[in-house]
Amino acid sequence: MVDTSGQLYTIEGISAALIMLISAYLVVNATSIYTPGDTHINDMQLEVLGSDALQVMNTPVNGSSESPLQKIVENDDASTFNTTFLNFVNNRTGSGMDNLHYTADIAYRNISDGDTIWSYRLASNRNMTAGDHPVRVTEWIIVKKNLPPGPYSPTPYRAALVEVLLWRD
Amino acid sequence: MAGLNDEAQWIVLMGFVVSFSLFFLAMILNQSVVVGQTTAEAVSEFPKDDIRGIREVTIESQMMNLPDADRKLVQNDIRVLSMSRQNAIVNLPLPSPTMIGGYTYIDIHYNNGVTAYNETWRSP
Repeated sequence: MVDTSGQLYTIEGISAALIMLISAYLVVNATSIYTPGDTHINDMQLEVLGSDALQVMNTPVNGSSESPLQKIVENDDASTFNTTFLNFVNNRTGSGMDNLHYTADIAYRNISDGDTIWSYRLASNRNMTAGDHPVRVTEWIIVKKNLPPGPYSPTPYRAALVEVLLWRD
Repeated sequence: MAGLNDEAQWIVLMGFVVSFSLFFLAMILNQSVVVGQTTAEAVSEFPKDDIRGIREVTIESQMMNLPDADRKLVQNDIRVLSMSRQNAIVNLPLPSPTMIGGYTYIDIHYNNGVTAYNETWRSP
């Protein structure tokens, strides 16, 4: 006859072991490892930030005037673009600025070159280097401007695309 | 529990109850992290800016009150630029949309393979 006086201890031991094993598994499993595939989340947040900045710049102060972005493009005003855009994307709550850099180009249709797409540099605050990892954000504008810049009369309305490469270093 | 002192059964039972409730709470906590990340990702992945951009520029080009020749120039810009820089096909009724019963209607269809967006925009 086998002595059965330790049964409850055995059952308790097994249960405790199971609970500890599963808890350990849960804890280990809860740790997420940041892999290169996850960088698209940061990229998407940067895209949202850049698009919103451009959208704000392309909002007119009232129904009849042009937006700041339209004025900037029509006058090739790189310094205003630089100040306004960096202000929008780099301001943070509290002190200290964020460290975002950009290059901005205008893409347009060149009618005299068989409807090919040309672009020129509007503004930039740094040259992009090989280590930078930029995202592309765009904003449509309709401007009264000669594209490509040249002497036409009268100046026509044209649609163009402001393309900004934005990166954090 | 033959021959065993069974006076502490309640304590053992309570021990089990507490351990299991802690265990299930931990499991819920574990899931909540993933849920938050997935939701945030889905929100960011929605092509809000593509839709907004194409919607605003088409409506603006139609409603800007331009002469037909100028509007044709602008809308050809939109069509060609969309095709080569935004991977989008834009088809606009040239030179101007038809008015039905005093209203101008613009149909906007957007589809990037994941998200579809359809709108009928109406203006008096």
